[in-house]
Amino acid sequence: MPKKSAGRFFTSGYLILVLLFIYLPILYVMVFSFNDSKSMISFSGFSLRWYESMFENREMLESIYYTLLVALIATVVSTVVGTVAAIGLSKARPLLKNIALELNNLPVLNPDIVTAISLMLLFLSVKIQRSIVTLTLAHITFCIPYVILSVLPKLRQLDDNVAEAALDLGATPVKALTRVIIPQIAPAIFSGALIAFSMSFDDFVISFFTAGVDVQNISMYVYSMKRFNPSVNALSTLIVIAVTLILVLANLIPALRERKDKKEEV
Amino acid sequence: MKKMLATLLALVMVVLPLAGLADGIDGIDPAEFKGATLNVYNWGEYVDISVIREFEKTWNVQVNYKTFESNEYLWLQLASEDAWDVVIPSDYMIERLIAAKKLQPLDKSIVNNLDQLADGVKNLPFDPDNTYSVPYFWQTFGIVYDTTKIPVEEMEAQGWDAFHNPEYAGHVYVYDSSRDAFMMAEKALGYSANTVDEAEITAAYEWLRTMHKTIRPSYVTDEVIDSMAEGLKWMATVYSGDASYICSENEDMAYCAPYQGTNIAVDAMVIPANAKNPKLANIFIRYMLDYDASLANSIEVGYASANARVLEELSGPGGEYEGIDAYIPRSDYEKDEMYVDLPKEWQTEQPNLWAKVMAE
Repeated sequence: MPKKSAGRFFTSGYLILVLLFIYLPILYVMVFSFNDSKSMISFSGFSLRWYESMFENREMLESIYYTLLVALIATVVSTVVGTVAAIGLSKARPLLKNIALELNNLPVLNPDIVTAISLMLLFLSVKIQRSIVTLTLAHITFCIPYVILSVLPKLRQLDDNVAEAALDLGATPVKALTRVIIPQIAPAIFSGALIAFSMSFDDFVISFFTAGVDVQNISMYVYSMKRFNPSVNALSTLIVIAVTLILVLANLIPALRERKDKKEEV
Repeated sequence: MKKMLATLLALVMVVLPLAGLADGIDGIDPAEFKGATLNVYNWGEYVDISVIREFEKTWNVQVNYKTFESNEYLWLQLASEDAWDVVIPSDYMIERLIAAKKLQPLDKSIVNNLDQLADGVKNLPFDPDNTYSVPYFWQTFGIVYDTTKIPVEEMEAQGWDAFHNPEYAGHVYVYDSSRDAFMMAEKALGYSANTVDEAEITAAYEWLRTMHKTIRPSYVTDEVIDSMAEGLKWMATVYSGDASYICSENEDMAYCAPYQGTNIAVDAMVIPANAKNPKLANIFIRYMLDYDASLANSIEVGYASANARVLEELSGPGGEYEGIDAYIPRSDYEKDEMYVDLPKEWQTEQPNLWAKVMAE
């Protein structure tokens, strides 16, 4: 018996170490968002001044607003385009499908900097002023492959006969798509959209080269700071809290719904 | 008669508000800019943002204030025709921008307050008569050190040689920037900071290698500011603007501009050739140089103002930076130099050599 508990002790110890490794830096950032001074090394007292200065900082708030706006537009557009492309590809001839998939993987594997510079050169060569429009286009571009990659495997699992049955039973192709195919792949579409959102929200390199005079996203804003300002900690803390809340809700709601369904069955 | 009266009234209504505004500020009518947006591009954390808000209120315009972190990135933006109205690059980059015809001359009838410039930033080599640029902040590169570990006289006597002193091994930060590192070596050896002489460059390279071997410095970038404010090491190379912040946070710290000479760096406001709103840009530049804006900016950022009165007041009795030597950059010292834009080959070769030094 003692041997077993030693083993358990080791595994849980290891797990704790891994979790610490992941979460300690985040905790550090959060703790120092409440620091009374500008220092990132010594904690001199509790205060909310960096939260205040964050909400007073129009440039920072603007950059958060644009980050969210671009991420939302990029997510919606790339999810629609990517899903449609994936459905089309799933029905395509194998040769075409393979070529298309390889082409789809290329930008995913490519270092961001290559994508960034090629997009910038593209915009320059066709003489489009870089702006929030080019930024959003760029984000849509790099998000689409992730949506396709997420949706396509789910489509492979589908039984072709179901869609055909729907058509046989008199559904129009559009109805078959919206009522039969899409509900079945909805979880994959959702996870594709989540990946797209976080890729866009996170992005620095591509934004750095494709944004224009009118827009700066939050990564660019933080990067350009000459001297560190703990408002960034305050912002990070709020983002961590928001993400945690979303994750908790995303896990809780289906569980609650399931329980409710079960109760109704009984 | 009625019709005439109506016409008269209408005329009065049109003329009156105009007359009221016309003598607004220096005969420039703010209504001219109604709804305009001024695109301003500055270094991050390099302004008191309320100064910008004040300008918006006075002129009833929007300032689209964005930030960058390197001259080279700014160059890329301007080269790709992004339409900024006011940008604030450093000396050598202004030289390059002027040569590439990327800037437009200032309108001296609007920017008519150049007499407020401090002596140290008058007649600068990259733009001697301020045709294109108005200095914003300026500073020297030097050494910030802990006076409880290294006495003042000891540091002043050594200057750059302190970086060859084995007693300090393990207690030194060196700023990771090839240009500044080579400048330090070249100055220590008595050369120009803009040398392109191969023998001198080789000697400077060897000087840096010796430094690397004898004192084993930690190579850092902007984290040096916090670390020195906390007193984590004995000395570090920093720009005087950051040194004045460090010294105001930590009383034990002092700043030394080495006697062998150093670099004087100036960031100045310029108007790109493709600016959409050059007139408003000129007004903005004048506003930023004026006493009130300069004072607020210098207090917030800690860098030396280009405005003579601000410089004097802040370092004088009762001023924000009283007793902090780092605040006022040394001027009129013949061994100090400004950077000029290096030839292309040396621009690419220098970072490679510096990387080799650090990797050894």
